[in-house]
Amino acid sequence: MTHTLHRQGTPESLSRDYPLVAVMAHGFNDKGGGPKLGRFLEICWKHGPVNLGDMKQGSVFTYDAADIYNNVSDTTIVECCFDDLNKVEAVLRDLKEEDLGVPVVVSGLIDKVGECCKKVGLEIHTVAQSLGVWGKTELLPSKEVLEITTMCGHAMVASHLVEKMIEDIKKGKTTAEKAAKKLAKPCECGIFNTTRATELLDKAAGK
Amino acid sequence: MKVDPEKCIGCELCVPVCPVGAILMEDDVAKVNEDECCECSACYRSEICAVDALVETPAKDMPWPRVIRAVLSNPRVESPDTRVPGRGTEEVKTNEVSGRVGPGFAGLAIELGRPGVGTRMSDVQKVTMAMAEMGAAFEAENPVTQWITDLKTGKLRDDILNEKSLSAIVECGFPIGKFKAAVERLREVVKQLNTVCSVVSAVKVSKDGSLATDPIFKELGITPRPNSKNNVGLGRPLFKFEEVE
Repeated sequence: MTHTLHRQGTPESLSRDYPLVAVMAHGFNDKGGGPKLGRFLEICWKHGPVNLGDMKQGSVFTYDAADIYNNVSDTTIVECCFDDLNKVEAVLRDLKEEDLGVPVVVSGLIDKVGECCKKVGLEIHTVAQSLGVWGKTELLPSKEVLEITTMCGHAMVASHLVEKMIEDIKKGKTTAEKAAKKLAKPCECGIFNTTRATELLDKAAGK
Repeated sequence: MKVDPEKCIGCELCVPVCPVGAILMEDDVAKVNEDECCECSACYRSEICAVDALVETPAKDMPWPRVIRAVLSNPRVESPDTRVPGRGTEEVKTNEVSGRVGPGFAGLAIELGRPGVGTRMSDVQKVTMAMAEMGAAFEAENPVTQWITDLKTGKLRDDILNEKSLSAIVECGFPIGKFKAAVERLREVVKQLNTVCSVVSAVKVSKDGSLATDPIFKELGITPRPNSKNNVGLGRPLFKFEEVE
């Protein structure tokens, strides 16, 4: 509990970070769920996410969005990420209207997500809260790097790669925007927020 | 993961791509430290190698127990036990349908190795044993639970203890009345870990909109992060929680 939860950063920065996840419940409603999950992704794509993906296929930083949402299997987990709460509201409105029966999780600032749900007539059913990182925290990279790497909950975005990108931006070898796109590629699920990563990379590089 | 030394041109581009720093340079060619490698395939999928020197072993061809590295670390690999990709568990993503976490109950998930440090299963066992001691109800549909040989002691299979993964989720739950003691026990056992863990609490929202764990965290001096993971109740058919209240 899990890959969209432990994103680190200030509330101001996190206010532009809303990953959505959908998965069928194994043994309850998963049979024939693939097309419903695909439709979920199609609705999300219509509203302009910064990223979108399927855990078994990959993200839009590697594949075409339509190829992804037309080939979703019953037992996968699909995701997308928005940098604007108004877009999340529009997605939830469409999902409620279509009544796909697909379990959906919206991660983000709980107050903001709660308000958004209320506007479309939904209520938060279950909440998973992060109690932080415990144990040998001296093994962790810097706070600036963690704010970027934790946007991929499967740890596919390596801290050394982020550090290299920051150095490359400082030296003028690349831009924060290009570096954010490069960092988004290893995040297979499509929850890495490139808008936020661009801001954080610029800040870390002193731009 | 391996590097073909005949193909490698020593450009070093793959070195920073590894989430656990398991790719090293030796005699001007890249080499994977197989003991540290978590088989996540992040390097392979990055397509960073211009000469295709990275050699991936598909999970289906990996011997036991090495395959558990891929099951827990490679998001594309589906757990053969739970059929869920990622780290093999749906947890509360589907709670409105599965009814995993109901009223009067709190889920506790301890994800060892996260963020980005990795964990040996021997450290995972320290946590499973501590939680078993507190009477944890382990989530059956979770690969780590499948490797516990005795749910009363939390002991894992001996043959997996040295395996390493990017992370592994110990997923369990407690009646609300026992939750505080379980969190306190967890605080103690993490002092023995050689890694980090990201800790999660999960509860069904009460009818009045409150969370049953809030007063417990206040007592313990724990402030949950402001960004949470929120199941918005769109799944169907709905689990009838009232029947078990």
